[in-house]
Amino acid sequence: MNRLVALVLLAMAWSAHAAEAQPEPLKLWHAYRGGEEAALLQATTLFTEKTGVRVDMLALPYDAYAAKLTNAIPHGAGPDVFIFNHERLRNFQGQNLLAPTTGTLVRADYFANTVAALEVDGQVYGYPMSLKSLALYVNTKLVPRPPTTTAELLALLPTLSNPAEGRFGLAYESGDFYFHAPFLFGFDGPLFDATGRASFDTPGMARSLAFVKKLQDERMMPQEVSGALVKTLFNDGRVAMTISGPWFAGEIAPSVRYRVVALPTVSETGTPMKPFLGVEAAFVSSRSEQSARAHELARFLSLGESSRVRTTVGRQIPANVAAYQFQEVKDDTLISSFREAAKDATPMPNTLEMARVWEPMKLTLRAVLQGGTRPEDAGALADRRYRALHRERPPEASPMPWLTLAGVMALGGGTAWVLRRPAQSQTFRQRYPDVSRAVTYVAPAAAGLLVLVFIPFAVGLTLSLFHHDAGQYTFVGLANFVDILASRGYSITEPLSFYFTLAVTLLWAVVNVVLHVSIGLGLALILKDPLLKMRGVYRVLLIIPWAVPNYITALMWKGMFHRQFGAINGLLVALDLEPVSWFTRFSTAFAANVATNTWLGFPFMMVVALGALQSIPPELYEAAEVDGASKWTQFRRITLPLLKPAMLPAVILGSVWTFNMFNIIYLVSGGEPGGATDILVSEAFRWAFQRNEQYGFAAAYSVLIFVVLMGWSVFTRRLMKPEEAS
Amino acid sequence: MSEVTLNGIKKSFGSNLIVKGVDLQVGQGEFLVMVGPSGCGKTTLLRLIAGLEQVDAGEVRIGGARVNDVPPRDRDVAMVFQSYALYPHMTVRENLAFGLTLRKFPQAEIASRVDEVAAMLELGHLLERKPKALSGGQRQRVAMGRAIVRRPKVFLFDEPLSNLDTALRVQMRGELARLHRRLGATMIYVTHDQVEAMTLATRVAVFNAGVLQQVGPPLELYNRPANRFVAGFLGSPAMNFLEARRDGANLVGKGFTLLSPADLSPGAANVLVGLRPQDLRVAALGPLAGTVDAVERLGFDGYAFVNTESGPVAARFDKGTQVSVGDKVFLAPMADALHVFTEDGSVALRHPVERESLEVAS
Ligand SMILES: Nc1ncnc2c1ncn2[C@@H]1O[C@H](COP(=O)(O)OP(=O)(O)OP(=O)(O)O)[C@@H](O)[C@H]1O
Ligand SMILES: [Mg+2]
Repeated sequence: MNRLVALVLLAMAWSAHAAEAQPEPLKLWHAYRGGEEAALLQATTLFTEKTGVRVDMLALPYDAYAAKLTNAIPHGAGPDVFIFNHERLRNFQGQNLLAPTTGTLVRADYFANTVAALEVDGQVYGYPMSLKSLALYVNTKLVPRPPTTTAELLALLPTLSNPAEGRFGLAYESGDFYFHAPFLFGFDGPLFDATGRASFDTPGMARSLAFVKKLQDERMMPQEVSGALVKTLFNDGRVAMTISGPWFAGEIAPSVRYRVVALPTVSETGTPMKPFLGVEAAFVSSRSEQSARAHELARFLSLGESSRVRTTVGRQIPANVAAYQFQEVKDDTLISSFREAAKDATPMPNTLEMARVWEPMKLTLRAVLQGGTRPEDAGALADRRYRALHRERPPEASPMPWLTLAGVMALGGGTAWVLRRPAQSQTFRQRYPDVSRAVTYVAPAAAGLLVLVFIPFAVGLTLSLFHHDAGQYTFVGLANFVDILASRGYSITEPLSFYFTLAVTLLWAVVNVVLHVSIGLGLALILKDPLLKMRGVYRVLLIIPWAVPNYITALMWKGMFHRQFGAINGLLVALDLEPVSWFTRFSTAFAANVATNTWLGFPFMMVVALGALQSIPPELYEAAEVDGASKWTQFRRITLPLLKPAMLPAVILGSVWTFNMFNIIYLVSGGEPGGATDILVSEAFRWAFQRNEQYGFAAAYSVLIFVVLMGWSVFTRRLMKPEEAS
Repeated sequence: MSEVTLNGIKKSFGSNLIVKGVDLQVGQGEFLVMVGPSGCGKTTLLRLIAGLEQVDAGEVRIGGARVNDVPPRDRDVAMVFQSYALYPHMTVRENLAFGLTLRKFPQAEIASRVDEVAAMLELGHLLERKPKALSGGQRQRVAMGRAIVRRPKVFLFDEPLSNLDTALRVQMRGELARLHRRLGATMIYVTHDQVEAMTLATRVAVFNAGVLQQVGPPLELYNRPANRFVAGFLGSPAMNFLEARRDGANLVGKGFTLLSPADLSPGAANVLVGLRPQDLRVAALGPLAGTVDAVERLGFDGYAFVNTESGPVAARFDKGTQVSVGDKVFLAPMADALHVFTEDGSVALRHPVERESLEVAS
């Protein structure tokens, strides 16, 4: 026994000693999955074998990855090395998260445009690992000789297309600017003007849009193409060519023979269609405590053996020049074709300005390809949207008057309270002898309220007086409110305007509540009927929609409204009706949202109504019947008035819930088309998190939402008064 | 014409037969009072007439027309519910006016009728209140008002006065009688109160366990009950029943011998003798003897409850007679006081010849 204890102690001492001797493991964060993750694991194992330094890998969900990095690194809780694409570079660099690679990075090891992508102000941050860009996938059975110019492409497409049979020459995700960019650059359209500002209203833009529109109008390309559709069509041999990235190779069925070639050259301009180049790099954190080792790891991952593993196992296109000397890489035509195709690629700018391009371009592409906007007018549309979304910072205001005002009000209030207080003959303690006990009872709830309600409220209120831009907060007074209420930058009939969204929100709330109440009440009336068999079963079934978490329901409905694969269109087709593209028109997108939310909302009203109905004595109906009331009169004169006291609070509650029903809007229509179905909360969310992080502006939205709901609650309290009195 | 006719009405709830084939005719303008023990089906019968329940068999006629399939609102009846059934969200005025509004009466007419009824039922000061703010008696009056204000062909009252205090009940009784006289409407009235039954009714119908036992003018029922149930049900204290055997000119029971009435027709040997306590006196000598068990004094006279060999018997005593618990007393029937029933009480064999006066204690 003693010996065992001694042994354990010894083992512990030894392991403690060993830990001391070994350096801390390096922390490596990434967002890889599947093959890429396996390849990274192999590469880090190689690193550990070589240097003896252990590496702790952590995979993060992609959606939360950037936020996690920007939060963790400044607090010293982040990784030593992390892998990210270069688009965020300037953002990270601006927040001082990155260590420069001066002295350790050898430019000649990598393709020049990949290093260029990682440059900010002459400094290179991060080691380029792989590149991602677009190329042309060609079904070699259908297209033995891939087109090299757009003229050849245009000549080829009609022979490959037959819309009646559902066959098309070309299909790609035409609604996504990432896929449209090669056309824009091929038609010589610059994306940024001389000052570096995004410019949309250019001849190149108009010509590129016209070209794509023509392909679609002449039925050489299908409409509303999603990635999933491209995959299906290409694998079925119904589409001869597609534009996609390296990831698409994994989705092609083994039976399909294909080749990857560079995108064609635009015949009118003689310029190759240059796709965006995305560079994935290993970045070293500026807070790494083992900076030298971290640089060593990052560099190791980007070169040599790691490149080979990442290529063969992870199917990445290496940025390392030497990697193409490996026999396996040489033999891999896909990798080398992409390498060829990426030669002309433009590194996607890592500027903030680039981040601002996406939303206006998405709107524009939709307006041209799905709506009736002419390609010549589309640039102006994008430009207006751009200006609306990326407001100039309002003039800085001095917070002094505000602070003074707040101070004066606090002082005045305090004085008034002291003066107006009736003179007390007793001390506070005498009047409230149990005060300490009372405080203990109230404290937990009060603390919760303080932390969960009052502090966020005060922060939000304060924030609404600031303008935020890339981490910089500027005090602007009421400028945010003025801009919102004056609808500056867009007319009040545009979806971006507060009034438009308010109108949509009110319509949304009213339509929903009316449907919830009428359906809920109708079902309650049916369920109340004692003659109905299996009432209990129905009751449980009808409450189920309420019991399922609402985002799950929302996602299910979103799936059901899908244009190609949704059950609802499936039903329409089965009934020989035209399938509906639900999210391209306001009316249908709004209807889809309403249907989903009604599904979620009626059970609550049903339960309340059922309870209220059951508390109405049946003799009242008999008395009314003898008094001469028809069933309808009984409902109107007996049921409804007696339901009112129970239903009114439920309706008020339901209207507030609906007013702020973010989940449904965000998950079902996502605001489509063009933000028209967004309601105030989802719009506030977009201003905060999808439109250049305009936190102050979003906070001002929230304050306005609060004001609207406050007004509503005051109004409804009035409404309830007579009920309470009686 | 608004007579109500019930032909062979049957009604069951589930497997319980509640109304077992009732035939009853209520003439135009008649005031029929239905009495019977609790649960015997009185309310059910009213609901069948009103149309709130469907008959299982038989036929309901109102004013000569068969109404089995006519909904309540088209039968032109008004019902006062045992549980009032006032509309809680309406004021008293609205409650009263409801039936008239539904029948699209002119506003002025509605107002005058409501005011008239309110005055009659002393509801004037309560018109703007909601039922929640009324006492039980006030609610009952509103419920009656709601029926009266409509002036229907047939009134159905289900114990409408049960919650009123004695004074108000007496007053309301008078009002009802006057109302009946004035409107000349047919009224069917359920009550547990024998005084109400006796004073209001033109005819009384006695029910037991879903079967109509006897129907007729109150005095007739009192004086000539068709069977033991009716005899025992009407009158207070209840009639005394003594088992007896015919023995020549006598009726002989345990501990007594009575002279058999001359008009008693011959028949089965065993009979049941009925004697109303009012017809039996505590006396110095008599055919029945026993020990006083309890005494009820009602002022000028009273009742003694006496244990005899044939069981407990109630008898009246006069003011002058001294009776106290434990006394051994004799009981003497008045002249020609004997009711005689068959042994099982199902058929009456004779009744005393009718006398002028009738005494009913409430
Ligand atoms: N809806 C019903 N379902 C089942 N049984 C019923 C129903 N209504 C009445 N009953 C039964 O029918 C019988 C007669 O009921 P009813 O209400 O007619 O009695 P009642 O003579 O009015 O009694 P009370 O003098 O106590 O008011 C009772 O046994 C009662 O339980
Ligand atoms: Mg009853």
